[in-house]
Amino acid sequence: MSIGKGDGAQAGGTGASPASAGGGTPGGGPRGPGSRIEFRLDATSGVPTYLQLVHQVEHALRLGYLKRGDQLPKVRDVVASLAINPNTVLKAYRDLEVKGLAAGRPGQGTFIQATLGQVALPELAGLHKSLLGWLTTADSAGLDEDGIVALFTSALRDFYERRGGTGDRRGAASGETEGVA
Amino acid sequence: MIMNIIETSGLGKRYGGTWALRECTLAIPAGHVAALVGPNGAGKTTLLNLAVGLAEPSAGGITVLGGLPAGSPAALDGIAFVAQDTPLYKNLSAADMLHLTRNLNRRFDQHYAETRLGELGIPLHRKAGKMSGGQQAQLALTLALARRPKLLVLDEPVAMLDPVARHDFMATVLTAMADDGVSVVLSSHVLAELERVADYLILLSRGRVQVAGEVDGLLASHRMLTGPTTEADKYAERPVVHVQRGGAQTHLLVRATADDPVPPSWEAHPVDLEELAMAYLREPGAGALPGPSRGRGTQPSEVTR
Amino acid sequence: MTALTMPTRPGHDAGLRPVPWRRMAWVTWRQHRAALGGVAVFLGALAVYLWLTGLQIHHAYAADCHPASSLACTINFTGRYAVNVNIIRAFLQVVPALIGAFAGAPVLARELETGTFRFAWTQGFGRWRWALAKLVLLAVVVAAAAGAFTVLFSWYASPFFAAGYAIPFATDLFDLLGVAFAAWTLAAFAIGVLAGMVIRRVVPAIAATLAAYAGLALATTLWLREHYMRPLLTTKTNVPGSAWVVSQWYTKGGKYAFGAHGSGIVNAVSQLCHGGNSGLSPAQCLTQHGYTAWTSYQPGSRFWPFQWIEGSWLLALSVLLIATTIWMVRRRAA
Repeated sequence: MSIGKGDGAQAGGTGASPASAGGGTPGGGPRGPGSRIEFRLDATSGVPTYLQLVHQVEHALRLGYLKRGDQLPKVRDVVASLAINPNTVLKAYRDLEVKGLAAGRPGQGTFIQATLGQVALPELAGLHKSLLGWLTTADSAGLDEDGIVALFTSALRDFYERRGGTGDRRGAASGETEGVA
Repeated sequence: MIMNIIETSGLGKRYGGTWALRECTLAIPAGHVAALVGPNGAGKTTLLNLAVGLAEPSAGGITVLGGLPAGSPAALDGIAFVAQDTPLYKNLSAADMLHLTRNLNRRFDQHYAETRLGELGIPLHRKAGKMSGGQQAQLALTLALARRPKLLVLDEPVAMLDPVARHDFMATVLTAMADDGVSVVLSSHVLAELERVADYLILLSRGRVQVAGEVDGLLASHRMLTGPTTEADKYAERPVVHVQRGGAQTHLLVRATADDPVPPSWEAHPVDLEELAMAYLREPGAGALPGPSRGRGTQPSEVTR
Repeated sequence: MTALTMPTRPGHDAGLRPVPWRRMAWVTWRQHRAALGGVAVFLGALAVYLWLTGLQIHHAYAADCHPASSLACTINFTGRYAVNVNIIRAFLQVVPALIGAFAGAPVLARELETGTFRFAWTQGFGRWRWALAKLVLLAVVVAAAAGAFTVLFSWYASPFFAAGYAIPFATDLFDLLGVAFAAWTLAAFAIGVLAGMVIRRVVPAIAATLAAYAGLALATTLWLREHYMRPLLTTKTNVPGSAWVVSQWYTKGGKYAFGAHGSGIVNAVSQLCHGGNSGLSPAQCLTQHGYTAWTSYQPGSRFWPFQWIEGSWLLALSVLLIATTIWMVRRRAA
């Protein structure tokens, strides 16, 4: 486990760097060199903060905003723009490390190491088509949109529970016992 | 280095005949943002005053920064306190306040303070009394952080600030934590937005500690079960903290982890911090306190009723 | 969970020497320069007045008061300027009280009232050292200013003493001369400081300081000061002019008869001396009837010993009050 500064948070020199903290720059905040994405926070979603960060990185990977070798935003910059606990950012980055998506380089930052398993385009098209078929069936059975969503969510949960919970979507109760500060 | 930034043992404080704080035993680890939460009059300010040496205990003891007596010169040196309503000398300018704070402390980073005030757009010659609430709070915070403390103690720091000022204030605090490893203890009676900021929670209710522990541990050890009201009273698998009863459907906040089996026809959801805190505040008899391995493993291990 | 840990910068806290005392000089000045400035302006204005008037007085005395009993002196000197010194001596009685109340009481009361003590007492300097440095600095400055003022006042008043119009031992001149004025100002400051700490609100503390000072000053001038040394007794009728006559009374046959003022002597004189028509003074008349006149007095030579006594106990009181205040600061619960 990296302790403290191993994540590119600036080792404090004499005085803070003049980069504004609590940024007021339009567009959401300070941009360190090399951070290609910006995090945002949805306070009302009920999803824990660190998970939101993890999801945003995974989403960015899927859509191509992030590629192998890109640097994730510095912990300090994320903290300054979102006003969240630095330990939360560290936790999110560690989560990505555990999943093998990112790796920290001491003194430099956290960098993307791998991409999410890409599904080939023809496969994606096939999945899309079979999904539409299922939806047609569900619709003719009488389920409305919310019913479909609820059914799907429940089945999704069951599926991952049976699988054993890597990439668990359960939020803060992730099943790890946190013992050491 | 892991140490307890604040450690209390049976701490109590009495004013006249009333105990503002009683039997308070805590071990807050360093390197966290510890949120002290509770309704008005719960004893938050009393606990903070004891920690920074503004008050003497009536019972028990308190040490800070890994064993120093609260209020001792070494403790004063390493702790910076911003009291409620951010007291400043109203007829002194920002520059005067910098000079004053520099004279009263061993360590003061003048360059940091001036740069920071410049970033914030606070002119050095402006008198503190003429600043807006947000600017006063930022000035007080700048003075505190320029002392390069190991612990920053904030008493209801954002209660009087508008949302933008509040965000900027907390961003400054948390950035200092990221940059310098400052530990933070702050009190609040506002629960919203706590989860973003706090990773250690202390719930005070009527002068007693109800809940104390790392946020992750607390959230991992509580679940919200939803099920038929007819079965709610028969549920006994895990300790129940709070019950929300409807005609047909009941929610139970229970002490359980994600691994614990869920009874058939019940659903389990994780709980968020605000929900957890509210539930405990509504149940004065309930508590979730760390077990004997306090200080190293602050996993809550008992519910007291 | 990974936690961010201790600061990387070393700091200078090895050995933990206390923050140097001299740092409080600027702090005290900056925080209290309004009060100090007020005292300076107030005393300064009075000083200017005393200087200008004093020049005139000295000039008139030099011109007309040799000898002091001449008519010219009575008209051009005493007649013209006595009013002046009487107003001044009355007014100056309240100056120590004002200085003590307005410079002393707010020092701690304002910190407690506005809540700034939560800032000041959590700084590295430490709260009782902060209080000690501040109070001692202010006390010394205030006492020194008062002492300097006394020098000027003594110069201003000296022609009146030389002309025999007044004596230094006079009740309302004694506490303006020598070391007494500075000592009273210091005591008033100490009272103000303690009142501010106890009462914790500025305006009530000012009021309490004025009241306490008034009580102490009255008790001293009306009762305590007479008893610094046992007064001398004499039956001679011509007590030296520089002496402070404490009281006079008559005895007959070894027993107390009546005091030198009041209904007792008036009745006796009207009965025995035919209402003063016998051509004798009341004193001569009473003596003829067997009464003995007694005077208790403090000779003028005791002026300075009395000054030292009064100065000493006021200084001791001031030290005690300030020490108590600092003790309270050290012990105070928020």
